[in-house]
Formats: sequence, C-alpha cells, structure tokens
Amino acid sequence: MLGYTIKRLLQMVLVLFVVSIIVFLMMSFTGDPVFMVIPIDSTQAEIEQARRLLGLDQSLFSQYWIFLSNLLQGDFGRSYVFRQPAMDLILERLPATIEMVLVAMAFATVIAIPLGVYAGANPNRTASRGIMAGSLFGISLPGFWVGMMLIYFFSVRHPLLPSSGRGETIEILGLRLSIFTADGWSHILLPAVTLALATLAIILRITRAGMMEVMRQDYIRFARAKGASRTHILFAHGLKNALIPVVTIFGLQLGDLIAFATITETIFAWPGTGKLLIDSIYRGDRPVIVVYLMLTAFIFVVINFLVDIVYTVIDPRITVK
Amino acid sequence: MMNLRMIATKGILFAGALLLASTALSSQLDAKSLTVGLTSDAVNLDPQAGEELSSNILFYHIYDPLVRRNADLTFGPGLAESWKLTDDTTWLFSLRKGVKFHNGEELKASDVVFTLDRLKKSLMANLGANIASFKAIDDHTVEIKTPRPYAVLPNDLAAVLILNEKYVKEAGDEQADLKPIGTGPYKLVEWVKEDHIKLEANKDYYAGPAKLDTVIFRPITNGATRTAALLTGEVDVIQDLNVRDVERVKTDERYKVLTRPSLLNVVLSIDQRDKSPTIDLDKNPMTDRRVREAMVRAIDVSAIKKVIMNGLSTPSEQYVPASHTGYVDGASFRDLYPFDPGKAAALMAEAGYADGFTVTLDATNNRYVNDQQIVQALASMLGKIKINLKLNLMPKSNFFSYIRVPSDKSSLIMSGWDVPSGDGGSMYSVMFYSRGKKEGYGQVNRGSYSNAQVDDLIDKADATSKLVERDEFLQQATKILMTDIPMIPLHYEQDLYAAKTNVEITPRADKFLWAYQIDVKE
Repeated sequence: MLGYTIKRLLQMVLVLFVVSIIVFLMMSFTGDPVFMVIPIDSTQAEIEQARRLLGLDQSLFSQYWIFLSNLLQGDFGRSYVFRQPAMDLILERLPATIEMVLVAMAFATVIAIPLGVYAGANPNRTASRGIMAGSLFGISLPGFWVGMMLIYFFSVRHPLLPSSGRGETIEILGLRLSIFTADGWSHILLPAVTLALATLAIILRITRAGMMEVMRQDYIRFARAKGASRTHILFAHGLKNALIPVVTIFGLQLGDLIAFATITETIFAWPGTGKLLIDSIYRGDRPVIVVYLMLTAFIFVVINFLVDIVYTVIDPRITVK
Repeated sequence: MMNLRMIATKGILFAGALLLASTALSSQLDAKSLTVGLTSDAVNLDPQAGEELSSNILFYHIYDPLVRRNADLTFGPGLAESWKLTDDTTWLFSLRKGVKFHNGEELKASDVVFTLDRLKKSLMANLGANIASFKAIDDHTVEIKTPRPYAVLPNDLAAVLILNEKYVKEAGDEQADLKPIGTGPYKLVEWVKEDHIKLEANKDYYAGPAKLDTVIFRPITNGATRTAALLTGEVDVIQDLNVRDVERVKTDERYKVLTRPSLLNVVLSIDQRDKSPTIDLDKNPMTDRRVREAMVRAIDVSAIKKVIMNGLSTPSEQYVPASHTGYVDGASFRDLYPFDPGKAAALMAEAGYADGFTVTLDATNNRYVNDQQIVQALASMLGKIKINLKLNLMPKSNFFSYIRVPSDKSSLIMSGWDVPSGDGGSMYSVMFYSRGKKEGYGQVNRGSYSNAQVDDLIDKADATSKLVERDEFLQQATKILMTDIPMIPLHYEQDLYAAKTNVEITPRADKFLWAYQIDVKE
C-alpha cells in the first residue's frame, strides 16, 4: 500500500511537470499577453516597460525556468491581469465550485443508482423503458439550454428560486460556504440540477448495464433459491458487483465537473473557478492557466487514487500494488 | 378583577413598540439601495493596474480625478477646483481644500504628485503620455508641464484617478488593489470575487453625499441570465442588454430600455504601402484613391445596421463623433460617398481593376458586436465589385498582437477605436501620423498612411495651447482624411441598458455607469 502510494506520487509529479511544459508551449501560440493588459496605442517604450513589469522580456525558456524554480519554493507565479498570486485567485473561487459539484454529484447518485438498479433488474417493464428514454435526454440536452430553461421556468415564469449568484454565505474555517444557509440552498439548487443531469444519465446507464450483466449470474439465481429477499439480492448481491464501473465513472465525472463546470457557472453567474479559466484564456493570463491546469491534473490523480482504494473495499479480490 | 392601569400600561408599551418598529422600518426604507448587473467582475480596483470597463466603472465610484468628465463628454472641475496656463506648457491646478480620503487623510498636492509618479512607472503609463514633469507648489497647488503645448491636458487628466500616498505606501500594491482608498462618492464595503462588490455612500463626499446609500455590483456574464435577473427583481439595472431581449423588456411596463450610441467606431484600415502583404500583385491596388472610394461606395452600412445589428448601430459620419474636437459639422462619409455599387464598379474600372483583386481582411470574432457577421457581409458586398475578400478571423487575444504595427501580415484590418477623452487629436496622432517619424506618433498607423499635410496639421494642433485653434487644425486634417480615405469608418455600436422604471438613470457617453448620478424614485 505504501509502495503503491509512493508510486502514485511519483507519477503525479511527472504528470504535473508534463502539464506545465505543454501549457507553456501552448500559450506561446495564443498571442502576446502584453497587448491584453495595456492600452492599444501605447508607445514602444511603454510596451517595453510593461513587458519588464510582467517578466515577459525574457525568452520563453528562461520564463519557464523562473517559473519552475519559483514553483519549487512554493511560489506559483502572479497573474498578469490581477497582479495577485495565481494560486490565491484559484483557491478563493474553489469552495464555490466544489460545493456546487458535490451537491450535483449527490443529486445524481441518489437518483441514478436506484433507478439504474430498477431498470437493470426489470429491463422489460414499461417504467424501465421510460427511465432509459429519459436518460437519453439527460445525455443529449446541452447544459446551457437546460440551465436557461430552468431559469425561465423557476425564476422568471414562477418566481420560486433566484436566477443567479450564490446568495448568503457564512465563513467556516476561512472558507466562504453557502450550503449552510437557506438562501444559499435556494441559489445552489438550479445550477446543481443543471450540472447533475448529464452525470445522472451516465451513472444510471452504467448501473443498469452492470445490473443486467450481474442479474444473469449464477450466484444471483443461487441467492434467489436460498430465499434471500428481493431487496437484499438487488443491492447486496447485485449492485455491489455492478459497482466497479460506476465508481470509475463517478470519479472521472467528479474531476471533470470540478475542473470544467465553466458553462453552468457562466449561466448562473456562479463565482467559481471555471469562469476564471475561460477569462484567463481570453486574456492570455498564462500564470493562472498553468496553475489551473496543474491543479486540475492534481485533482484527477488524487481522485483516481481514491477510486482505486474504493475498488479494494467493494471487491476484496482486488488489491493495489 | 382586571387591573385597568395595567391594561393601559400594556397598551402604551404596545403602541411604543409599534412606533419603534415603524421608525426602524421607515429608516430602512429611507436608505436607498441599487443593485447593478454588470457583464463581468472588476479585475482591479487599483486604477493603475488595468483599464477594462468594469474596473473603470468601479474606479470612478471610489476615486476622483482632478478633472471631471461629465456624462455628455464635457469637462469640469473635479478634485481640482480650477486650473490655468502660466505659459504654453505649464499648467497650475488648484486643489479643493478639505477633501478627505476614506481613511480620513486630507487630500494634498503631494498625493497628486505621488499618483503621477506611480502612474509613469505603471502598466498604464500611457495615460500620462502627455505629462513631462510635475511638482507640488504648495499643499493645494500642483504644477504640471507638458512636453509641448497641449490644449487638452485637462481631458487627459480626467482619466487619472488620485491615490492616497500614505495609504498606498503603507498597504502595498496588492492590498491597495484589493482594499482601495480614494476620495470618491462611495467606499468599498466588500468585494467577493465574481459574486458581488458592495459600496456604501461616502457621507463626507466633497460634492455632497450620494442619493443612493448602498450600491451592489453583480457580475452576470451570460446575457440571458442578466435579463432574467432584472425580470426577477434581483437587480435594478443591467448593462449590455441582449439585443434579442429588447422587445421582451420593452413590452413590460415595469422596465425600460435605455440606449445611446457608443464612442466605439468600427473602422477598416486600408494598407497604403506599395506592396501589400496579402495581395498577390506587384502594386498594391489600394494605393489608388479611386479603389478606396469604390470600397466605401460598395459597402452598405445601413444594410449592416438593419440586417446584422438589428437596428442597433449608428453609421459613422467621420472618424470621431460630433462631441469631439476635429469633427467637421455637416461632413459625412455617407453623403460624400453614398452606397452605389454601380459607381463603385465604374471607379474600379477607371483605376484599371475592372477584374478586381484578392485581399485578406483580418478581424476579431469575439471583440466587437457581431464582428464575424459584419466581415462576412463585407465580403459579399466587396465581392460585387470583384474585390475577393478572404477572411482571417481570430480571437482578440491573438488579434491585437497579430495586427500590431508594423502590421507586416495585414492588408485590411477591421478594428474599433474609441476616444473617451473627447479629443480627436489623440486618435489622429497615433493612427494617421506617418509612422516612425516621431516618438509617440503613428504607433497604431496600421495602413502606413502618410500625408505630409496631415502630419503638419497634427503638429500644429499639438503646438497650440488654445483649444479653439487645436480644433481648427484637426478639422482641416479631418477634411483631408475624408478625401484620402486611409480608413473606412463603418458604424458606432449602440450601448444598451435596461432598468426598472423607477430608476432614474441616463447612460453616459463613456459607458462608465456612475451611481452618484442615479436615483431611485419611491
């Protein structure tokens, strides 16, 4: 287990290193960030001064070298635009995103798994066919459209929920959180549902496929013959064996939503990190993009690691090496 | 038996409580507040760290300039009560006495000197390009020297916001950006990034406290969500109303739509070099004035307005709007060269290009309203006179470094230009002055236009300290430019706002929404 953890850590360092190089190279194609910061009619002298202030007067290689050596001292660089540490900018927005994603994932899981088990166990019932048809909508409807429709119906037509923003927050351990206030919940509902829809549909379909596979196995027949209750068969024998792919997808979706909830955040004016990424790309703000993508890679590595651990819990035959 | 006195006492207590409650309620009603939906969050609150629109809007709430730019682009006293010229290049600004920063410090000439000094070393050094030196004469007088006679120095100073020397030095650059201190009509209460910025009226404001006690700015990037936030009552005013939502908001009597032409002139710069980068001919056809005139006549700006801009654009008459120096009364591209494809084709033939030529147009696809559709329309319009337009579209982050002078890769460029200082000269000197002749002149002359007469007139305009003379020289330059056609002005974008009916707001020419001049009726 320790060896496995160390191996994973080394892999992570390698991944982060490669990501940083790729982003640096990519950013050299996206135009000169100086012109995103200063007035267009600046003179050559003013441009040089701005380059110097931003550290862009060095070659790309030495810029990367400076970035790397600062990184080893725990300094992730400063945004060209905000003139603040890039990591601070991201961390300040991260709680909002994680909060929304966790609520969305909770919605998705709580709804998808029972429905998936039902549809998998009774594939020929009309209700199951209905569920499967419904899940197709979840996969194929674009998030921005769903978001706009939800705002239209629940905020504009029937003013039940606010259209945008995060609402009242309280500070816990220095983190600004909204899920502990009623106002916060009324704000989080629509974006979380929007975000949950696609994940819900995917998890539902994977659960169903797994269940259909498992329900044909001999040990299910045996459990029935033994006289185990139907719920017990479905959840203890069936679901547990169908869960491995579900956990894998869950992990991937979780990482994906944390890193790239951009569209939902933009539609609901949710003050999260996804918007920061898009804005930074538009503004050529390389330090933020580099740190953001490295953080994303880090999150994915950690989630995959946790998923591997969960495998061993679900299925004792699996060990991590 | 019931004690009558007790009942009476209870009654009085109850009435008292009611009274208390009602005064509390009415004082809450008296405190007016306004929530504004902006298109994006402010990036900086340090006015020397950046200059995008949302930040600019916030700057003028928190800080004051020496010279105030009014909503209609007229200029008046700000922190400077008055100013005078002592010789052609020396200006004396008298500061208002008793003006206090939000931290209680009194405004002194040394703060102005500190501000200008810091500005010169900052990313925004360009704002102080026409300031050569400055010093404090006494606590309330500042002397500013310009490098040459420069009649519009006060206009320039309207963009320079005054910082508190003591605070910025103590707090450092980063804190000064996050927790700004100025003399402005509003103080920052809190700034939750991407969520809201809350301001509260500065009771000691030198021109009297603002009518609205609290102002909240909320960044709502998605246009449809912004409209929804207005319709649900979450915000009172929104900036940049979606064109497709105009009808929806107009038909509801609880809201009003406000609109005015912006200062942003969308223009086509035409390459004037003998050989042009994207034209596969030995001689650049666009050096022939007849070809340029043909191009103007081939472009139907009113069709662009009707079909692409939904009626929300104002075809440009000249390079600068009527409020600016350099504008010539009554002269218009639209009257000089009205849309006439027949005449355009004839001019092309006369110039020897009846068969046309192929040229690339560089443009953005995310900077100006409907920029992509506009250039597609231009391609089909110019196609009628056999100018085969190839489109080279890119996002703005690539565009501005791609087209940058010396514009080695470009023959035709569509971009926008606005002059919030109200002075045409600041545009002419950087866009129409011959390249490379003088430092600070011609650095965005993308088409390499060069006319000794125009250079001379700009020199003359920049050699007088009298505004009337400056205007006169610039107008002469405008007349030459309108004959030479180094650029084709297309249209001004329209600014759109929507507000609740009870909000009293007049859109400003410079788009800098200012709560100090907004009120809410009961």
